[in-house]
Amino acid sequence: MVHFFSHGDSLAFYVLALIILLSAMLFLQFRKVIYMALAMGAIFVGCAALFLLLGAVFVGIAQVMIYAGAITILMMFAIMLTNHEATESVSAFGIRKGLAALGAFLLAVILLFTIRATHWRQSLVVNTDTQHNVDKIGFMLFRQYTIPFELVSLLLLAALVGAVWIARQTKEEKQD
Amino acid sequence: MIELALILCLLPLVAAVFSFVLRKSSAWLHALVATLAMLISALLALIVFFHLYHRHAMEASIHWLALNHDFMLTVGVRLNALNNLMLVIVTLVSLNVMLFSYGYLKTDERIGIYYAYLNFFAFSMLALVMSANLLQLYIFWEMVGLCSYLLVGFWFFKNEAARAARKSFVVTRLGDAGMLGGILLLALAAHSFNDSTQALLAASGNLHLSWLSQPHLLTLAMLLIFLGCVGKSAQFPLHVWLPDAMEGPTPVSALIHAATMVAAGVYLVARLYPLFQLAPGVLETIAYIGAGTALLAACIALSQRDIKRVIAYSTISQLGYMMAALGIGAYADGVFHLLTHAFFKALLFLAAGSVIHALAGTQDLFQMGGLRKKMPITFYTFLAGALALSGVVPFAGFWSKDAILSAALASRHYIVYALLLIAAFCTAVYIFRLIFLAFAGQSRQPALTEHAHEGGWEMKAPLLFLAIFATFAGFLNTPLNDDALTRYLEPGMPMSEYQNWPILSMLISTLVALLGIAVAYLAFQRWQAQGSPVPPERGRPWWIQISYRKFYLDEIYYHTIQRAGRFLSMLIDLFDRYFLQGLVRLIALLFYGIGNALRMTQDGLLQSYGTIALAALVVWFAIAVFRAGGVF
Amino acid sequence: MTTVHIPLPSVLALAAILFCIGLYGALSKRSLIIVLVSLELMLSSVNINLVAFSQLGAFPNLRGQVFSLFTITVAAAEIAVGFAIVLAFFRFRKSADADDANSQKR
Repeated sequence: MVHFFSHGDSLAFYVLALIILLSAMLFLQFRKVIYMALAMGAIFVGCAALFLLLGAVFVGIAQVMIYAGAITILMMFAIMLTNHEATESVSAFGIRKGLAALGAFLLAVILLFTIRATHWRQSLVVNTDTQHNVDKIGFMLFRQYTIPFELVSLLLLAALVGAVWIARQTKEEKQD
Repeated sequence: MIELALILCLLPLVAAVFSFVLRKSSAWLHALVATLAMLISALLALIVFFHLYHRHAMEASIHWLALNHDFMLTVGVRLNALNNLMLVIVTLVSLNVMLFSYGYLKTDERIGIYYAYLNFFAFSMLALVMSANLLQLYIFWEMVGLCSYLLVGFWFFKNEAARAARKSFVVTRLGDAGMLGGILLLALAAHSFNDSTQALLAASGNLHLSWLSQPHLLTLAMLLIFLGCVGKSAQFPLHVWLPDAMEGPTPVSALIHAATMVAAGVYLVARLYPLFQLAPGVLETIAYIGAGTALLAACIALSQRDIKRVIAYSTISQLGYMMAALGIGAYADGVFHLLTHAFFKALLFLAAGSVIHALAGTQDLFQMGGLRKKMPITFYTFLAGALALSGVVPFAGFWSKDAILSAALASRHYIVYALLLIAAFCTAVYIFRLIFLAFAGQSRQPALTEHAHEGGWEMKAPLLFLAIFATFAGFLNTPLNDDALTRYLEPGMPMSEYQNWPILSMLISTLVALLGIAVAYLAFQRWQAQGSPVPPERGRPWWIQISYRKFYLDEIYYHTIQRAGRFLSMLIDLFDRYFLQGLVRLIALLFYGIGNALRMTQDGLLQSYGTIALAALVVWFAIAVFRAGGVF
Repeated sequence: MTTVHIPLPSVLALAAILFCIGLYGALSKRSLIIVLVSLELMLSSVNINLVAFSQLGAFPNLRGQVFSLFTITVAAAEIAVGFAIVLAFFRFRKSADADDANSQKR
């Protein structure tokens, strides 16, 4: 551990990880829905920073734009359009919630122990060249992954149309 | 001949179906169809009878079901001396009843149903008589029982009628259960339901099971079968249903008592006579039960007030004579009495029906009186029947009854003879008591008897017809014509046995009958002199009270059998309710609990399902990780 | 080409913890919007894994990053449709609670 702290980038990683986990804790702690949304935004931004730190520039930027930008804003809109005064009930620590917490905790324990027990072969040479990263991803998308790319665009179109169709007001509701 | 027999048997069935389908049509149509069908049947029966008079029996069967390699169920027709005679009796009596019923019931709106039942009744009896094997016989036996249930309960809206129908069904059912057991036992031993096969096997001593030797098997089986006959023919322990069966329409009573229902029991004993003869001790039992029943029923009949009940007990008594005759070995005499009794008892019932019809349903003897002048035909025909029943010289009953008595004397069954002789005395007393009360003297209820009159021709004709038979049928089997019927029924018997006239026995029985009539007349004269219209309920001498209450047999049955049955049912009910039901409930509760527990998991909430899935995932992961090892 | 000194297990552990937090949120939060967003959090933690292996794995290449791009796209589509459904549900039931998304009789 001491070995990792000796480098600047690993220190930065731990700081980032701390910020992300802190935001996640806050997300769980908040009662008001709008605060939760803000905490979630913070997590997404932290993740983007982590991607940048790892040298995945394109994914990091995409994360900022889509998650931290679009999704968080969309979330705000959704909260405002619905019952934005809603809060989580304080006392609601039922059997279901306890079971969910226990299950999640046990899953985390199992995963962490598994990660610890596994021997990871790690390449210490990492390509952090920004220009190169974006270029290469572009080439891969448009040469190797052309068909999935087009399919994803089709999926987005379908989601767009579907979302509009689902969320539209029906005639009966307009009359009310 | 087989075809003719089939046709004569199926004609009533056709008429029954006709009446049932068109039950809304008018009364005369039903009567016409039923009478015509029965008339043709009767003619066919006579043709069959005379055609096969001197020949051997005919039998034809077809396969019905193959149960095993060596066990074949068949259905068939058997025409032998006894069966042909029964066909004639059944069709002739049924014919008269069919005709009479029209006069008796033409205003009843359910007459279509009535004729359907009646025809079905006749069909069942004819089919029973023609059956080629015991299984087939048993089926029709039960059908006869069913028809009698339906007809006794024909006026089911009357409480008594419904109860009487139920009683008749249940009581005969008691006997039928035993009878089925006996039939199955015989069939198991003989590998056949055919009774002639069984008789052949028994005669050669080969009728036995691995665990039951022939004498024991025969005794057991024949006693069980006789139990069925006791139920059907209303013999002593199981006779209680027959008087109650008077709740049905009177022509039905005539049919039940004369030709169909009760004759079946005597017929069965006669039919299985070869087997009964080989079963040690059984015939003795039959003789004593028959003689005892004859006396018991005659004693009860002495004091009954209901005109139909008197005749009903008379039937039980006469059936006792037949059983006793069969029991002491006088096979032909028993069947002969069945024949004569069929005619004079049908006559008595139809005449009684005529009286009841004229008096608008009154059956109490003490309300009648003086009907001789109002209804001469009914009176004289009834008188013929009564004389036949009492056994006065030229009438039918004399010949048959005297044959039985002399046979008892000849075979040295003195106890049976004594019982039957006393019964004969009682018979003469009760039937002439009935005649004096109903027909002689002055009317005791002028308002009731004022408008009494004879029925139409359809009621008079059967009475006259049957009266002729009741008077002359006895000459079928007298020493005058060498006991023709006996020789017809028992062709193998030596002639000499029947050629001497049993003068002593004849004299005694004639004297006894005349004495009985005289006693009835004296008692009636004294009673008439007292001038009381209706005798008081209370204050009877004790011996009359015992007789009137039928020896308290109904009460005894009620307090023993019915109580015991009720107690047993209660035990079973408790067991069922608290043990079995508890067990069932426990199982139900178990699954209810499981279902309830599982229902909790199905609360319809998305996140609950997710949580359960998570739990499963964690367990699965934990197992996988532990199996891989090296993690913790 | 530079050398990065971030330990792979630490990144994976972070992703695992984030995943479990997202799972807990999805299973326990009442608001349907938050439930949906928790799903996004889980997807995002998967993305961390993909990128981490893409950069720090035994054989670094860009396929993991391309795949994570696809994931992001699909997540965006999902959240759009999901929110549309939540809006429709809210108009129908006047509530955005997961507990009210239940047509069973109680």
